[in-house]
Order: sequence, then structure tokens, then C-alpha cells
Amino acid sequence: MYERLRRLRRASRLAFLTAFALLFAFAAYPLKSPIPVDLFLRADPLIALSAMLSLRKILLPLLWYALPIVVLSLVFGRVFCGWVCPMGTAIDICERVFRIRGRRANQAPQLSRVKFYILIALVVTMLLPAAHRSAVDLSLSQSVGLSAVYLMDPIALLTRTFTWVGLPAAQWALQIGNATVTAWSYSDFVSDHPALARALSPLQLAFGSVARPVYFRLVSTGFVMFVVVVALSRYALRFWCRNLCPLGALLALLGKVSPLRLAVSDRCTRCMRCVNECKMGAIAEDPHRYAGPECIECYTCLAICPERAISFTTGYEASGREDELRLDRRRVLQAVGLGAAALVIPKVDWSAKPSEAGERVLKISAARLIRPPGALPEPEFVTACIRCGECMKVCPTNAIQPAVGEGGLEALATPIIVPRIGPCMQPCDLCGRVCPTRALQPFTVEEKSYLYLGTASVDRSTCIAWAEDKQCLICDEACPYDAISQRVIEGLGRPAVDERICVGCGMCEWVCPVEPLGAIRVGSSGDRRHLTREERQRLREQAGKESTDESPYPGV
Amino acid sequence: MSNDEMTRREFMRRALTLGLTAYGLAELAGMDELQAAAGGGSTIAVASSKSPGPLVRAAVDALGGMGAFVKPGASVLVKPNIGWAREPHQAATTNPDVVAEIVRLCKQAGAREVKVMDHPVDGPDALVLNVSGIRAAAEKAGARVIPASSPALYEKVKLPRGKALKSADVLRDLRRADVFINVPIAKVHGTTTLTLGCKNLMGTVWDRGAWHRSASLDQAIADYAAHVAPQLVILDAIKILLTKGPKGPGRTATKNIVVAGADQLAVDAYGATLFGRKPTSIAHLKRAYELGVGELDLDRVKVTHV
Repeated sequence: MYERLRRLRRASRLAFLTAFALLFAFAAYPLKSPIPVDLFLRADPLIALSAMLSLRKILLPLLWYALPIVVLSLVFGRVFCGWVCPMGTAIDICERVFRIRGRRANQAPQLSRVKFYILIALVVTMLLPAAHRSAVDLSLSQSVGLSAVYLMDPIALLTRTFTWVGLPAAQWALQIGNATVTAWSYSDFVSDHPALARALSPLQLAFGSVARPVYFRLVSTGFVMFVVVVALSRYALRFWCRNLCPLGALLALLGKVSPLRLAVSDRCTRCMRCVNECKMGAIAEDPHRYAGPECIECYTCLAICPERAISFTTGYEASGREDELRLDRRRVLQAVGLGAAALVIPKVDWSAKPSEAGERVLKISAARLIRPPGALPEPEFVTACIRCGECMKVCPTNAIQPAVGEGGLEALATPIIVPRIGPCMQPCDLCGRVCPTRALQPFTVEEKSYLYLGTASVDRSTCIAWAEDKQCLICDEACPYDAISQRVIEGLGRPAVDERICVGCGMCEWVCPVEPLGAIRVGSSGDRRHLTREERQRLREQAGKESTDESPYPGV
Repeated sequence: MSNDEMTRREFMRRALTLGLTAYGLAELAGMDELQAAAGGGSTIAVASSKSPGPLVRAAVDALGGMGAFVKPGASVLVKPNIGWAREPHQAATTNPDVVAEIVRLCKQAGAREVKVMDHPVDGPDALVLNVSGIRAAAEKAGARVIPASSPALYEKVKLPRGKALKSADVLRDLRRADVFINVPIAKVHGTTTLTLGCKNLMGTVWDRGAWHRSASLDQAIADYAAHVAPQLVILDAIKILLTKGPKGPGRTATKNIVVAGADQLAVDAYGATLFGRKPTSIAHLKRAYELGVGELDLDRVKVTHV
């Protein structure tokens, strides 16, 4: 019976990892998924806690999805870790594939408490007011906390790894297949043999969907982060889950009240099989006792016990479960100190970009801080964003990239638009529909004409029309908002941007034939996130009244 | 080891030498030249009616039917304008019904394979193909719709008669298809005044930026048109874009006209008159005429109205 339970658990974990991968794959144009593609992120109680504590707001969409996991943990303990978590399953698979043989049995018990200290430090960062943007806009942000949870949340970490590393790798492989099959099918030899060409055609279709593999700027960082998590298993299996995962720590706290417990009968012969087999090292030298917060309810011990000495019980007294965390007071204080010390992060402010229109002290490094449409005002945005990379995954043009230095250290890996890699396509609203914390608010395609991201400007010293007196108005052609007009000087049209209409989508910068930078570039100066949507809409309407719709061609 | 057996090292050396020699020879053989005969007798057909399908059929029938161009078993490349993620009513991309009708006519004429291809400016391809409505319409009519957004689909060729453009990365299918049908939509254009058939050919090259960086975009368009002669040009002027071209959204006018012909310049010349322009006032058409691409003087073109 217990063996069946164990098999059921294995099936459950594979099913959830598959579901995770499928939802990840579904996060793509045209985004027609009956269930939210960010389901796992939304259901993650740590993300919900972080978003709500640091924004000081009840976020119902997160709360409803996280509630089932909370209830599950209250009743059954860390069932999520053992039966659901795609990160745990991914680590297990990697351990097997790469033949990592770390120890199973109990390690130094104080190590397993590290995850609780990490959780404490994270909660402190959520609670303490982060002085974003230093003195400039204290009024806006003195209440919001700092987002550091993205560093350690397993679901965000796995989604990010899938986006930054998995997706480019998969598409790269497809691209190579596509190029190879295409080269074959256009070769003279195949052209002369129609039967061969017919045989190749389905292959070409199979590979054919990737025009250009996606690329993300922090691909190596993402890769290294995941490799480190897996490599730690060399010391002890599932090192991450045992010792570091703050989500596991949170669920362990909830699971303390769980009535579902294990008891060991007198039949135990102290063969120590359970001690040695426990993946979490939850059973210490005495096999009659086990550490409740470490148990992920995998029930391996039940299945392998040769004497069938272990059984379920609901009696608090009868069980061998120990619920005390035994945290070290000095370490707790250190964790609180560490969390508080993280407040220096916003001070590492090499690129402050205040959203307040009146206090424009733009620094050069923030000139390219172009947020996707629907982004909250900067301080709230940076706080709410968990860097899961879901928006980067769903963006059909690969425009959304992790920020490197554009927003300072606190905005590391948050989404920005890099127009030279891809533009924000006008008829698209996908990124606003997949953000689990609503750091990117939903928006409609119609609203995009006044969701100003930035403003484009022409570099006349390199522009083909301005500097070389040649015909070129690709930017004018491509602009979906008709914000570029041509100024006819000496009989030749030269592009000029109407900054009241330009929303900074980057289409012009993307298509500009001047290499490598483009002679028309989007800067962050037109960002108007400090205004409400209604205010921005009025701004756009005023601009519309003044613009004319006359054909520049006589006789047309 | 016996003497008549090749060692691994020897095998590698020989294979490498052979491979490099073959590669070198192939490189020496150089790029192919793109050559096209200038269009034959300048006859164009202008059809006007309310519904796109019959319009296309009438225009093609006036030229002797699709059978005059597409022989049974032929492979056909249809090149509409699928440049932008715009809806059909915005008149920035070719009318999907026009494309579908052409595909059907080719199939009826016995075409073995009809490919609909373009190199969209907007991206991603799925979005552009869906919003423009062309994928759904053309696939329903039996064509394979392939967005040409992979460099593997292009080959570098020389343009020996080019003045501003000496070479181009051209769609491989352009030289391989038995019949090439250009299906532009008539629009104004910010840079080239109008975009008709010759300008639509720009969607069959990989590096469009090279044309803009060249000495003159107008000349580059003419140079390319001098080397690529579609067997048939079908100009969609059902709804034309009058302002903010080529992408719009701008003012449109409903003309309900389709112009067809084998002389691509003659078709463009007629297209220019729809905007009230003299064909010779459009710089790239004038330069194409100077290169002998076709007839620009409508007085010397036999225009059949149907």
C-alpha cells in the first residue's frame, strides 16, 4: 500500500513538472490558454506574501491562487515540496541525469535551519521601507518594501531558468535543424529528385517555426544560478530543498500544525534504513523521532521499512514528530540584520530615474530604462517584480530583456525593452496578461497609444537622410503610431519625431538600417508612468487634435 | 597494420583535403547572376467590379487565363505584400481574397505547388500573418504560406546591370519556382512616393537595409526590378492607401480595381495614375524604365478594360 503511495507521488511530481513545462510553452502568441500560464507563480505562497507585504496591499488574484497551497500545507505539511514543486523534481532529475551522489543521511542539523534564516531576512526586506531613489521621491516610495525574494523563490528561479536558458537552447536547436533541412531542400540534388523534396517537406515544417532564436542578455547568469543549485546536491541530495529554499521554510512553518503525522512502533529493529534513505535527512540517529519541518511527506520511509514499523497517525502525542525549529537566537538576529542591510541596495543607485516629471534628474545609465507597457510606477514596479521572466517568455519579438545596469542594482533582471533586439509590437498585449504579481498591469491594444514607455529621437549625425542626404524613411514607414513625419529640406524628406505621439515602442530603432546602434533611438525621457492612465489618455488626445491628417503629395 | 589499409589519420587528411578543395572550387565558381528577360508585349488588363474574387478572375482571363502562365505541374511562387501587422481594411497589406483567388486559379491551372511568401517587416511572423488575414485565406485556397524570415531561405546573387545595387540576397524560391507572381497593393509611400509592383519586390530580399544604405533607394529598386521579372503582376487596387503609407493607418479610397499584366512596369504605370500621378514622376519607375524593365508610357500599352 505504501509502495503504491510512493508510485503515486512519483506520478504526481512528473505530472506537475509536465504541467509547469506545458504552461510555460503556452505562454506565447496568441496566448489562448484556459488556465493562467503563470499558475505556478500565482499559487506560490511566498510570492503572494512578498508582493502583498512589500506593496502593503491585498492582491486578490494572488491570494486566491495561493490559498489552496496554504490550506494544503496546514493540513498535510510540506506536501507541496514532495508532491508538486517543479523545482524539486527538476533537481531530482538533474541529480539522476548527471549522476550526482551526495549524501542522503542526516547532515549537520544546523545547516537545515539556514532556510529559515533566509526566510527571516527576506521578510525583513519586505517589511522595512526601502528608500527607493534616495531623496528624490521619498513621498512615493517610503511605504513600499524591497524585493529580494526573486533571488531565492524556487518557482521564479525555475521559470527564469526556463526562459533565459531553456528557451534559447531549444530554439537554437530548432534553428539549426531548420537551416540544415532548408539548405538540403534547396540544393540542386534535391531539386532534381522531387520524391526527396516531398520527403523533406514535413521535416521542414517541423523545424520551420523558428525565424530567429530568442536571446536573453543574462543567459549565462541564469545558467550559472541553476547549475549552482544543482551542484550543491554533491554535498547532500536536494541540498537546495533541505537547506536553502525559503518557500520550503514558509511551508514548514505552516505545516507545524498539520495533524497528519508518522509514528514508529516497537517493531523497529533500528536497522537505520529509513535514516539512510530519507532524502531530506529528516530522521536523526534515533529512528523513532523525525524533524517535522524537514519532512516533505514523500513516505519513502513507510514503503522501505522492512518491519512495517512506520504508520500514519493523527495523534500529536503518539507520533515521533518533533516540531521545534530550534533556531539559534544569534543567527536570527543576524538574519534580521542582513535583511535590514539589504536596504543599501536601492542606494547602489548608479542609474536613478525618477518618474516625477518635475524632478527630472535622469542619469545617463538610466536613459535606456524602457519598461514594458502596463508597468507600475518605477518604485512599485521594482518592488512587485519577481523576475520570473514570464513576460520575457511571452513577448513575441524578444523585445523584453532582463535589465543589467539600466535600473541600478535593485532593478537587476527586471524587464526592460531593448528595441535593437526587438520592438514592442503595436497589436500585442501579452506581457500585461501573464505577470503573476501585476507589476505589469493588464492593458488593451487601444490603450497602447498613450501608455508612453519613452520617446524616440533622431541622431542627425548618423541618420542616412539627415547626414548623407539620401532617401531613407524606414522609421517613418514602420512607426505604428504615425509619430514620425518627414521634414522636407532641400527637396529631401528627413525624419522628425512628434514626441507627443511617440510612445517609445522602439519599432523605428529596430528597423533603422544604420548599424550597429541605429540613428533613431528610444530614450526613457518620455516615460509617463507617474500619471494615471486617464491623465495619459488626455495628454494623447490633446496631441491628436493638433496633428493633421493631410497627404503630403499634391494631387492625391 | 597492413599497408593497403588506410590509417585513421590518413583518412582524415584525405577527407579534409577533398572537402576543402570542393569548397574552394564551389567558392571560385562564384555567385550566380540574376538574369531576367524584359517583359514581352505590353498588354495589361484592368478589371473593375465589387467583389475581389471575380475581379482577379476577370483580369487574368483578359490576359488569356491563368493557364497562359501556369502550366500543369508547375511550381508557383506568389508574393503578396505581407509587410505589416495591419488588418485588411487598413489597406497596408494585399487583400487576402485577392491572394486566395490567385492561389485557386493556379491550382485550377494544374499547379503542382503554390507557395505564398513574403519577408515581413513587422514581427513576429505569426502575428503579421494572422492580423493581415493572408495565412488563413491562402491556406484555405490550398497554398503553403511561408514567412521568409530565415536567412537560410536566401542566396546571394549578382546583379550585373545594377547601378546602385551590385548584388542581393534573394529568396531561393524566386529562381526555383517555375512561375513567379507578384501581388502588390497600391499605396502611397513616405520615401518612394508610391509602392506598387517594383517596390513590392523588396520583400524578396534578406537585407533591405542595404538598399537604403545604397547610393539611391529609387535606383536600387530599379536595379533589382531589372533582374527580376515576374511572369505576372497582379496589382491589388481594391482599396488603396492615400496617406501615411506604407504602413498607415491613413486615409483609404475604395477603387475596386485589379490590374494584371506581364509587363511589370506597365502595371505600375497604370497604378500610378490611380493616385493622379504621372508614371514618369515616380523616380524609381522612371529609373526602371531607363534600365529597360518595361513600358512606362501608357499610350504604348494595350489596356483592356473588363
